[in-house]
Amino acid sequence: MTIAPSSALAMPVLRVADLKKSFGALEVLKGVSLEAHKGEVISILGASGSGKSTLLRCINLLEVPSAGRIVVGNEEIKLKQGAGGRMKPADARQVGRIRSRLGMVFQSFNLWAHLTILENVIEAPIYVQRRPRAEAVEEARALLEKVGLADKLNHYPAHLSGGQQQRAAITRALAMRPDILLFDEPTSALDPELVGEVLAVMRSLAAEGMTMLIVTHEIQFAREVSNRVIFLRDGLVEVEGTPEEVFGQIRSESFRRFLGASARGHS
Amino acid sequence: MLAFMLDTVWQLLGGVPLTLSLTAFAVANGFVIALALVLMRSSPLLIWPARLYVFLFRSVPLLVLIFLVYYGLSQFSSLRASFLWPYLREPYWCAIIALSLNTSAYSSEIIRGGFQAIPRGQIEAATATGMPRFTLLRRILLPLAIRQALPAYCSEIILLLKATSLVSIITLMEITGIAHRIIASTYRPFEVFICAGAIYLTMNFAITRIFLAVEYRLSPHLRPAPDAPAPQREASA
Amino acid sequence: MILAEYLKMMGFGDGGWGPAMARAALVTFATAGCGFLLGAVFGTLVAWAKLSGVALWEKAADFYTTLLRGVPELLVIYLLYFGGTALLRDRVQQLDTSGFVVTPVFLVGALAIGLVSGAYQCEVYRGAFQAIPRGQIDAAHAAGMSRALRFRRIVLPQVLIYGIPSLGNIWQLALKESALISVIGLVELLRQAAIGAGSTFKPFYFYITAAGLFLVISLVSNAAFQLAEFRTRRYFRRPD
Repeated sequence: MTIAPSSALAMPVLRVADLKKSFGALEVLKGVSLEAHKGEVISILGASGSGKSTLLRCINLLEVPSAGRIVVGNEEIKLKQGAGGRMKPADARQVGRIRSRLGMVFQSFNLWAHLTILENVIEAPIYVQRRPRAEAVEEARALLEKVGLADKLNHYPAHLSGGQQQRAAITRALAMRPDILLFDEPTSALDPELVGEVLAVMRSLAAEGMTMLIVTHEIQFAREVSNRVIFLRDGLVEVEGTPEEVFGQIRSESFRRFLGASARGHS
Repeated sequence: MLAFMLDTVWQLLGGVPLTLSLTAFAVANGFVIALALVLMRSSPLLIWPARLYVFLFRSVPLLVLIFLVYYGLSQFSSLRASFLWPYLREPYWCAIIALSLNTSAYSSEIIRGGFQAIPRGQIEAATATGMPRFTLLRRILLPLAIRQALPAYCSEIILLLKATSLVSIITLMEITGIAHRIIASTYRPFEVFICAGAIYLTMNFAITRIFLAVEYRLSPHLRPAPDAPAPQREASA
Repeated sequence: MILAEYLKMMGFGDGGWGPAMARAALVTFATAGCGFLLGAVFGTLVAWAKLSGVALWEKAADFYTTLLRGVPELLVIYLLYFGGTALLRDRVQQLDTSGFVVTPVFLVGALAIGLVSGAYQCEVYRGAFQAIPRGQIDAAHAAGMSRALRFRRIVLPQVLIYGIPSLGNIWQLALKESALISVIGLVELLRQAAIGAGSTFKPFYFYITAAGLFLVISLVSNAAFQLAEFRTRRYFRRPD
């Protein structure tokens, strides 16, 4: 298990308060709150449709919440009511700023097909964060080497396996020097034998003290690497706590069923 | 007959520069207008004029448009007195205007299709980095949209090449105009058709080839990796 | 002022060109329609040739579609018109040396449209036929259907269903091509507009009217094809 960060009293790097999200008539998130401190690894578990991906996507505003507050660092995301009663961001600049402090890793990698791996990694640092090219390239090379993709710099995503693409995608997110990394089911689209290499990268990131929010189906990984585990059911937090608390004494029936179903799925 | 056909080909080739220049200008203008039209569609206000424009210029036959510009505009004395008149009375510029307007409507649909074919995830990944909208368009959307649109755009350019034949009706002597003249004076339509047809087909072939080459160059992601090892047989496990 | 003048000129009253333009619009529709139907016949035959498996037919069919899709329609019109006139002239001279030959421009026009449209329709029919799951043909065979019955009840309906959107586009092409037939003298919309323009020296009024009428025909056709598409879509719509 990752060593917990020392000061639980320090200001959280991320605070989500009573987040609600509806798609038309369907209410996916019904009031979710969570807090993340620096260096914490939080795993978010739940069945399909429980709202876990939506929760993650609300944090960097890929979806706009219907209600609730999100505070990243010391900045609260300003929302306002738009046409049709739907919420939208009030300050586009703020959104851009906050997004560049959050890194996101997607289930389907989403590397840019027309750019090489190296170009993928330096794209945001150069064109969003406006860092000098030489610096971005050097840092990219170092990061890619760390994840074992040094020889794939000039390859295109289509030439890489799923595991390699996801490692490249993680590197791409890291290159922006984010405060928090968001992972949206990073291994769900991978063949089983490729899952390990991606989890290894995530493990080492956690060990280095990166703050991570991981939506995942990898229960074992969640147990081993997280500081806290959250189980969502039907848009609400059903279970929350340290891995020992959550997996040690299972009080929630639906969580028990979820674990049982997942265990069967894995074998 | 062969001598006649060779002579005909020689005469027809004289029209190739005009055909090509009309096509080139129309493609260039058409592309710029098409891009503007596609961008207009993202604004709730401008989308309606854009859609109307595309509908109009795709529904009105090109020949009618040519006549409108070349003959129709001469009705207005205010235009005849303006500084535009030296251009508007020339068949060449009228042809370019009409061809550009026509192709811009079709091209905009093709480019729009290119944008729609971009995998959503790659757009999301870019948005998630906080990329501002214009940068997103320039660095991610345009390159990917163009790659998706290339095959359809090739077809459109070939259609445009064929469409230039219509300007022969307003006295421009491109390939079809010359062909008409030869047919009318020699009454050997069959041979002239074969010659002119062969020239057009050759140009179509060349354009297709060029596009294939461009597609190949722009799509390293669809080719084998730079240092891909020679394919090996899997040893049976 | 301008509007009033325009309406008077295009109206159906005395000295108005309304009736003439309306008649011309009908000619446009008829020419395009006959051309399109001819194209359906040619297209079916050529598609059949392409799917026949016989190399000679396939090559000939390929040649036909490549040629007629790659060459300007105007050239095809000139070929048929001048070629037809030459043929007729020879024939007439054999039979009767007096009088002169008037080539039937409507026929030439419809044929020209048919030839070009056929090349495009061929591809639609071929693609649509190949899109029909093979199993359905086999099932019809197994059920003891004769070839003709199979074609009529299984193949043809589905080819039409798959092909309707593309056929809508090809119809629009035929409509636009009908305007080209004006160059050989057929009095369709564009020709009529040119006649009116020459007579009144108000070319803009006439050509904008022609454009407008083409738009109307186009809109109505569009609506018809969309309706057809919608009605046949229910065969493939999954229950939501």
